[in-house]
Amino acid sequence: MIRKSVALVILAILGLLVMGGLAELPLPAERMSESVTSRHILSEGVSDTGAVNLVTAVLFDYRGFDTLGEATVIFAAAAGVVLLFFRHDLPTSRLGLSSLAKRSIMVLAPFVFVTGLYIVMFGHVTPGGGFQGGVVWATLTILLCIVYGTAFEWRFINTRTKTLLESLGAIAFILLGLVGIYRGDFFLSNIAAGFRAGVPGELTSGGAIPLLNLAIGLKVAAGLALIFYNMVKKDVG
Amino acid sequence: MTFLEVVFDNYFYLGSITIFLIGFHTLLTHSNLIKKVIGMNIMETAIFLFIVSIGYIRDRHPPIVVEGEPHMMINPLPSALVLTGIVVGVSLTAFALSLIVKLYKYYGTVDIDEIMEIRSRES
Repeated sequence: MIRKSVALVILAILGLLVMGGLAELPLPAERMSESVTSRHILSEGVSDTGAVNLVTAVLFDYRGFDTLGEATVIFAAAAGVVLLFFRHDLPTSRLGLSSLAKRSIMVLAPFVFVTGLYIVMFGHVTPGGGFQGGVVWATLTILLCIVYGTAFEWRFINTRTKTLLESLGAIAFILLGLVGIYRGDFFLSNIAAGFRAGVPGELTSGGAIPLLNLAIGLKVAAGLALIFYNMVKKDVG
Repeated sequence: MTFLEVVFDNYFYLGSITIFLIGFHTLLTHSNLIKKVIGMNIMETAIFLFIVSIGYIRDRHPPIVVEGEPHMMINPLPSALVLTGIVVGVSLTAFALSLIVKLYKYYGTVDIDEIMEIRSRES
């Protein structure tokens, strides 16, 4: 009881403080006209990066280094979860769900995979990108694990494959960044490092952005799948 | 402009503050660790709504340039930053939940009060 009343008092004070701050906030349109960065991105973004989707342009060009850190956060989480459950073992269930579910998932799986690939590869043209498409790919492996049982996962898409894919994504991202330094520009510089800008709105536009998206997609898919499989593991000892 | 008019114009700010307080209330009052994680996630959602609404301007398009379209787009920077936030939130939730699984294996409960009691009895 005392905890609840203390919590309510804290919440009331916090709410009043935040509401007081709210009155000072300018409206979003005013903030936008004041922000030099946002106006530059909106007017010069396409010619700077070649990507039509300006959110992707910010993520993989202007703030590419930040995205590398973001991918490292997923890597750290996956590494932490693996470390916590390293003594555990997958319960090998060979049964899975009914044969109806198995047949349906085999019809569905290619479409899910292609949807993920589309979201990854067209991240610079339409809404989407490596993170979103990577999550779709991770969902695919999780679906296969649920429908076919964990023995299927153990045999075909085991931990070593996922670790390999995750490392591959990270190494590809860093190598693409190093191309910028090799060409005499900054780490992760895109058009300035000689990547082709292409025609805005086409798949081959955006310089290194589609490749970076693919690397991030692999990394996110493998990382989230690793987290899932380590959480369904069972204690052996 | 009075205080009420500002609040009415920025009702999404008000909504995000409300969601944040709901999440914080869950975090403070529940002793179940999984419910605490859920409360943390609700707070994250409130922050994402707040950041996205900072960049949102009414009657403007998403920041995807279509040829021949005038520059009537919303601010792309907050949207890009929210993506970072979502990724960090997912990683944090995954790690917190796996720590809770370990705690459950060790103590046989996910209630923080009971865990504290067991700890004080052991020491």
